[in-house]
Amino acid sequence: MLVNPWSLALCLLAGLSLFLLGMASKTALRVMRSWQPASDSARQIGLEAEIWLSSTLVQYGLAFQVISLFLFVLAADHFSGMLAGAMCATGSLLANDYGLPLLAVKGTGIFLYGGWIVFHQLDISSETYPLVRFKYILLLCLLPFVVADAVLLILYLTALQPDIITSCCAIIFDAAPSGTVQNLVGGRHGQGLLLLHYGWAALLFAAGLVAWRRRQAFFYLLYGVGMLLFFGLALTTLVAEISSYIYAMPFHNCPFCMLKKEYGYFGFLLYIPLFFSVFCGVMAMVVELVKSRPGLGRRVAELQRVMVAVSLGALLLYSTLSAWHYLLYLVAGGEG
Amino acid sequence: MKKYFEKQRNLLDYALASLWRRKGKNISVFLVFSLVIFLLASFLFLSRSLQVAAQTTLRQTPEITVQRMVAGRQESMPLTYAERIRGIFGVRRVSPRVWGYHYNEVTGANITVMALAGDPELGREPLAEGAFWQQGEQGRAVIGQGVVKDLDLGGRRTFSFFRDDLTLKSFAVAGIFAPETNILTYDLVLLDIADGRDLFGLADDLATDLLVEVVNPLEIATVARKISERLPDTRVVTRPQIQGTYQAVFSWRSGVAAICLLSALSAFIILAWDKASGMSPEERREISILKILGWQTPDVLQVRFWEGFALSLLAFAAGAILAYVHVGYFQAALFRPVMMGWSVLRPGFDLVPIVQGGDLLLIFCLSVLPYLAATVVPAWRCAAVATDAAMGG
Repeated sequence: MLVNPWSLALCLLAGLSLFLLGMASKTALRVMRSWQPASDSARQIGLEAEIWLSSTLVQYGLAFQVISLFLFVLAADHFSGMLAGAMCATGSLLANDYGLPLLAVKGTGIFLYGGWIVFHQLDISSETYPLVRFKYILLLCLLPFVVADAVLLILYLTALQPDIITSCCAIIFDAAPSGTVQNLVGGRHGQGLLLLHYGWAALLFAAGLVAWRRRQAFFYLLYGVGMLLFFGLALTTLVAEISSYIYAMPFHNCPFCMLKKEYGYFGFLLYIPLFFSVFCGVMAMVVELVKSRPGLGRRVAELQRVMVAVSLGALLLYSTLSAWHYLLYLVAGGEG
Repeated sequence: MKKYFEKQRNLLDYALASLWRRKGKNISVFLVFSLVIFLLASFLFLSRSLQVAAQTTLRQTPEITVQRMVAGRQESMPLTYAERIRGIFGVRRVSPRVWGYHYNEVTGANITVMALAGDPELGREPLAEGAFWQQGEQGRAVIGQGVVKDLDLGGRRTFSFFRDDLTLKSFAVAGIFAPETNILTYDLVLLDIADGRDLFGLADDLATDLLVEVVNPLEIATVARKISERLPDTRVVTRPQIQGTYQAVFSWRSGVAAICLLSALSAFIILAWDKASGMSPEERREISILKILGWQTPDVLQVRFWEGFALSLLAFAAGAILAYVHVGYFQAALFRPVMMGWSVLRPGFDLVPIVQGGDLLLIFCLSVLPYLAATVVPAWRCAAVATDAAMGG
């Protein structure tokens, strides 16, 4: 189903991202080959000008990918009207084998590009550009990811077949009106999962506070790993449990419908703090890698503190907002 | 953080002033860009309005329509089939329907004639004048606004149609549908089923198709499957299928249109790239002065970004608003023939432009983002100009 404005826009964005990252990679190759910070040859000066171009290109690429993630979810919702058995975005994503991997690639991509920009900011904060080679190796590693994104997108869209009534033959029937009963993470898990989710969040919060006070690599590591695990747990809980309370329907477990107008765009209030919290928490751990580089020690330490503080704030916001409908249900007995 | 925003504000300030200084060049880019966005947005708004209109229409249709197929063609349906469907659990009601087209040789228009059994008022659209006939009353018709015009009724309230054997059958106009329901009723003549059989010369135990109402919408697919198992010589069409088909068709059409417009867009992008690349000596001097004053390459890049963003956002707003006006007030005069059918009488309803956040994002992605991507490399070439070279030249 390539001939459709949504598919076209998605393909266009994928193409633009490829173009931007491809241009940036050209600089990356040149930097890897002939970067000499001590030299003042014309080539070195040219390269120093070029790194501004490449960082701008990656920033554009990141912005495009964030937009394309939203566009993809909206498009999946739009496609659901044309697919038999698909009642919302979940159904469209499950319509063939490429939907969910594509979503995963797009989601992970945001973390990766964001991480690259953090390293870039660290790099330009020091006058000696200590991370140039490091960040351009990273950039070249990102390129296959963007290619995978584009390939999966094309595969997903071409494999998507709208159900059109044909006058020649008889009936196409939905296997079952699925979609509403479909659950991305399998059955329901009951109160235990909610307990685990909020228990884990509370522990994480404590660990984050300790990391913020002590400023030691070990605690950052603890917090970062805890955050990564929490991300998986939070997504599972969102789909399996929290969504039901938001929709006020026990068997409606779509992770995307809450992004729509019908539910007051509430999903954005959950996903954005969650992504921020996880991203900052994990980055506080990851930048530890470059702490020992000359001239970066103080900057990295400052950055880690800010990251942990932002992450904790976002975590608190996410936990409160995600519990809102559940608490409302307990107190007021559902909608009303 | 505050310092960062202050800096961005100052850069934006500078960018807007710089846009204004090069009015001539920027206005031409703005006009062409607005035009491209206007065309794209018109198509998307139009297709969304048509989709919504089609969904509203379909909300009134019964859940399942059953037609008899003989040799791959639709044939009249014996009423005994209705009894066999009534036995299926979950079916609320089965009603026979007779319908067809009446060709008006004088005006060359096709009029849809539909004849229903039972109480005609049930679930029907509001009337502008008159009333529905009483159940069982014959020779009375409720007609659409387009039919009044087509038959040139004026003040008369009777008309007649030819039967297939060229004898005349007359009707009294019992009522006229309200203009708001034009999308459904513009070319419609609604009759009692006995009148319909009489007009089309159909036997009393036949109907064109059967309308099946289902109690629980989740059971539509199951009931439809059971019907097709019991009556293997029928075609069973469900409402969700029709809705899906409509959406797919409109999406496909606007997709084709979007492809055509993308070529216009890429022409524009090349123009933008070209305009951004050609740097005048004044611009060169300006950037050199900025650099001597202590500006860095990323600052100049940011100014260029703000310029491009402001220009494309303005063009986006202008294009989208014009498209809204085009669809809402001018009934999408430019594209209507492409998106709708080719029937002469049919398109007689008012389009209501419907704007959704998702559609705006879609237009944004198809227009503003390519523009920004295309101007970033030329902007960098400007920004990276070596100061000494520019001042010396």
